[in-house]
Amino acid sequence: MSSADLASRLAAYAATRMPAAREVEVRDLSRISGGASRQTYRFRLAWTEGGERRERRLILRRDPPASLIDTERRVEFAAYSAFHGSKVPVPEMIWLEEGSEALDQPFSVAEEITGFEAAPALLWTASYLASHEALARTKWTILGEIARADPFALGLDAVMPPPEPEACAFRELDMWEKVLDEDQAEPLPITRAAIRWLRANPPPAAQKIGVVHGDFRTGNFLYDRQGGIHGVLDWEMAHLGDPLEDLGWSLNPVWNFKRNLAGGLVPDAVAIAHWEAASGLRADPAAVRWWTLFNCVKGQAIWISSARAWIDGGNREPIMVLPAWGMQNAQDRAILKVMDRL
Amino acid sequence: MKPDIPAVLAELAGLVARNAVPDVDPAERAGALGLSAALLGMAAEAWDGAAQRLVEENRALRALLARAGDRAGRDAWLAGGVDDDLRISALSTANARLRAALVDLHVAVERDPSSEARALEAEIWDELRRSTERRLMSGALA
Repeated sequence: MSSADLASRLAAYAATRMPAAREVEVRDLSRISGGASRQTYRFRLAWTEGGERRERRLILRRDPPASLIDTERRVEFAAYSAFHGSKVPVPEMIWLEEGSEALDQPFSVAEEITGFEAAPALLWTASYLASHEALARTKWTILGEIARADPFALGLDAVMPPPEPEACAFRELDMWEKVLDEDQAEPLPITRAAIRWLRANPPPAAQKIGVVHGDFRTGNFLYDRQGGIHGVLDWEMAHLGDPLEDLGWSLNPVWNFKRNLAGGLVPDAVAIAHWEAASGLRADPAAVRWWTLFNCVKGQAIWISSARAWIDGGNREPIMVLPAWGMQNAQDRAILKVMDRL
Repeated sequence: MKPDIPAVLAELAGLVARNAVPDVDPAERAGALGLSAALLGMAAEAWDGAAQRLVEENRALRALLARAGDRAGRDAWLAGGVDDDLRISALSTANARLRAALVDLHVAVERDPSSEARALEAEIWDELRRSTERRLMSGALA
């Protein structure tokens, strides 16, 4: 579908969702590079209502034929909606369309948050170096706020099945090991050794069942030069589980970006202290290690599955090859590091 | 590297050709070509050393299997192999078979409480560490 066709069909869809609007137009529709799990576009929606011309900057996220991570967009939409207006900054969700009639694939539309950065590489340029400690405090405080939230009070248990506290760890491990079993294109001796260690050394039961963002890392939030965060993005792997899972993902060494610091920002201990203060939970060192290693396995499963989607021909976009080539060995080295083998 | 480099290069050739058409949206073109450039850089770096890395690794894995002896079980015969065919695809196929055998050997060694097994396990971890060094790329994302 050409950009012009997409804009036209999106405008027609918007008109059906805004009965009071007239002369609905989609302007300046442009694809945002990246977005391995959804095709992402920014655009301006313009319309006339009550005799007044109005405009809003929005984001369209459309499912590709095959994605890096197969997820339920309803779950993602519910997670964003649950946290909108809370201490966890997220864009406002506008529409969720699960049918394929309007734009050939399911999609969602959300508010665009403008004026901030998401790219990790910018963080290590001169303008941002002084913000690292403040940004780390904000980052792990927000992650702690996600952990502190009550998913049942937020109504998220309606779309995300809650596990028993003692079942969280192996439910996740079973799921991602299955992805590896199904998608691996070559043997993975380091990842398989990690899985055996995880099974032989289970963590304690979760202190609580919380919301797990599933991909909370540098690169998935919008930041400024003062250490502020203005939008937490990419909730497509959100689920209910042990809040330590998110902490472990944020400490996965691949997100250090070749710096020996959590998220490339601060020592792990500092990040953990911010998280504990905000969440009201304890980060038992052995449990944190288990969840960090688990998240290395999960990461490997994600990189492997992107390779599989490309190999099988479901998605031949170059973004699917980049993590497969650029992350697998780094993830193996992260596993060795967490297991004290490097 | 999976997907295989030749298949990715062929796909990138088509992508570049499609983006040579004048009416492609500039933002889409920029995204596609930027990612393509990153992948071409990785492919270029992997190209020269690929055969060397695979031959070296296959040799190391065969030596490990030979030292494991009976512990290698049904895979013990792989220790006697030789890389006669130096095409990357043939070396990769042999490498995959040897790394699968290494997984099985690692499992067997972990279950064996003997001191000989511990020594072999240490050798396996050494080889796994070296395998990540062989695969290091300057353009890696992390």
